[in-house]
Amino acid sequence: MIGIFLCDDDKAVRSRIQTALERKIFMEGWDMSVVCSAEGSQPLLTAMEREGSRHGIYFLDVDLKDEKWDGFLLGREIRRLDSHAILVYITSYGDLAYKTFQYHLEAFDYIVKESEQLEELVCRCLEDIQARLMEERRAPEEIFTLRTGDILRHIPLKDILFFESAPVSHHVLLHTANSRMDFLGSLGDLEKQLGDRFIRIHRAYLAAVARIDQVDLKRGILQVGGRECPISRAGKKLLCQRGGGL
Amino acid sequence: MPLLQDCLITFLDILTGHAALAVYLFAVMDERMIWKKVKKLPPLLLSPIAATAFNIGLYMIIPGTNTLRYAIFSCVVLTMCTVWTMWVWRMGFWSAFSSVCMAGIFQVATSALSQFFYLMFPLESEIISAVVMVIFLFIVFVGLMLLKKMHFGTYFQLLLEDEANLRRTSLLIFALEVVMDIFLVLQSGIQYEYLASYYILTVVLILLIVWLVIHMARLFDDRRMLQTQRDIIAQQQLYEQNLEEIRRETRLFRHDYKNLLAGLSRQAGEGELEELRATLSRLDADFDRRLGKKIQTSTQIGNLLIPEVRSLLLSKLASMGEKGVECRLEVLYPVKAVGMDVWTFVRCLGILVDNAAEAAQETEQPWVEIILLAQDDCVSLRVANSWNGQGNPTRFWEEGWSSKGGGRGLGLSSYQHMVEGCPAAISSTSWADGVFIQELTIGGRQ
Repeated sequence: MIGIFLCDDDKAVRSRIQTALERKIFMEGWDMSVVCSAEGSQPLLTAMEREGSRHGIYFLDVDLKDEKWDGFLLGREIRRLDSHAILVYITSYGDLAYKTFQYHLEAFDYIVKESEQLEELVCRCLEDIQARLMEERRAPEEIFTLRTGDILRHIPLKDILFFESAPVSHHVLLHTANSRMDFLGSLGDLEKQLGDRFIRIHRAYLAAVARIDQVDLKRGILQVGGRECPISRAGKKLLCQRGGGL
Repeated sequence: MPLLQDCLITFLDILTGHAALAVYLFAVMDERMIWKKVKKLPPLLLSPIAATAFNIGLYMIIPGTNTLRYAIFSCVVLTMCTVWTMWVWRMGFWSAFSSVCMAGIFQVATSALSQFFYLMFPLESEIISAVVMVIFLFIVFVGLMLLKKMHFGTYFQLLLEDEANLRRTSLLIFALEVVMDIFLVLQSGIQYEYLASYYILTVVLILLIVWLVIHMARLFDDRRMLQTQRDIIAQQQLYEQNLEEIRRETRLFRHDYKNLLAGLSRQAGEGELEELRATLSRLDADFDRRLGKKIQTSTQIGNLLIPEVRSLLLSKLASMGEKGVECRLEVLYPVKAVGMDVWTFVRCLGILVDNAAEAAQETEQPWVEIILLAQDDCVSLRVANSWNGQGNPTRFWEEGWSSKGGGRGLGLSSYQHMVEGCPAAISSTSWADGVFIQELTIGGRQ
């Protein structure tokens, strides 16, 4: 069962949302239930501890009247405790810095509480969440996770073309077809961690075996997903050894 | 066979000279990605071969020890190396020329310092040559370390950014290189008892040149900072005008508000619920249009507590507004520090926002979104823009690349250079579905 947590200091809003959620869950027969309706961050965190929640859904007020926590910090703490949490924010105005929430906390959605269609918005949001959960269950993917600053990025392993050691020491660049990301690490560790699916074709390059298009030994260049990487002498040997398996 | 031996010795001599020049060139260029440039080194070998042939040719025409021959020869080598530098670093002639001259000064000084050994032991022998070679390499190594320690490359590159005076700077450095060369030539006329003075003079001269370059770079930096500070003041005034506008609008709005409220209470009294609702939503939309957006933006800007960053963003927001680019700025928490040199950060931010605005303008509905978030010990910046999918983003990191004529690619490569210069900074780029995103994170636990 998926636990739903509510946190808002306005009791009326909280009970409206809770009623809407419970009605929707009952009608659809989903395996969810509202396990906590808290007016502040402390009761919510206690409830999380009690429930031992993983993969929970959280409806949080942006403007918590709390000295220590505001909506953003509470979201960050929840994300720390429950990395798969789904966060939905409740706000009084449409002008909150939502993009920041979306980007830094991977917030799922936000709901304007003053709206007359609050119940409707809550139901629609829950539908979207259910759709995403189904999607995730249907297609479980192997994910490569990297951290830059406070942001965790999840990249499907099949999207990665190659890793490249950056000019700055201890930095590694990850290349996909449509991104390039810098993070702290070492190619040696990655090589060990990722095993057979990646091949060290050069001191500074670790390429995804499944994404190799073409090996040009004469020019010493490997084409990976339309991009070119150099091959070193040791890399050539390794490629030839594993030639049958490629 | 002595001719062949002579040729070989000349070639080896010129080759070591070039090697030293290349080493100093990398130091002067403040280059960190040395292994990426190394593959462009082999063509540099052509230079010593050509130089040897040329030298022999010249020897036929002007035999004996001759200053004129030396001068012609030096100029030719200088030109060849400048062309090579222009190709490797994709820089303009004058920048490449001054860099080569600068590296040349160091190389010639190294020769002058190492060859004193010949004068102390005026015997021709292989051992002496080998010892001189070792001393030469030792001086190159020590020189390189000292230059790195002083961040000479950073200063020199800063000096080259002073485009208005670039030509004058290059001529000055060329003149200094000539002086250094003359010093080297004079060496053969030095008598044994004046050797120590000559040695000291060379060291002092080279130190003076280094000091001069650093001093000039600092002066340029100060001048640029002064200009930026003037800009900041102008921008702050704009900001105050903006606040003043909000105040005036609020006063007007209060006036309207009373009238509207009177109307509303009349409608409520008459029980016209539908109309009441319509008026209310009109009021809401009107407020958003007239004040909401301005207040939102000014709150975000108010969170930027670093004047340099604030002024830069104010001016960028204003210019994007003029060009019809929809702009959104989010600064959730006050930004007090950026974890790196403020000016470097401002330059990075400027480049990212300029590129975003430029790319956005090529789309039908241009927008740019800037998110700046300061947390405990880490600052992160994200600049996203609408993008028409043209241009190959995988080539953005190649030095000197530009999608149209110039400026853009150069900006991105100097951004890359600055980020690499700050170990705590991490940058990411991604593009998909008509959106282009650049991210920069500084500090924090990784």
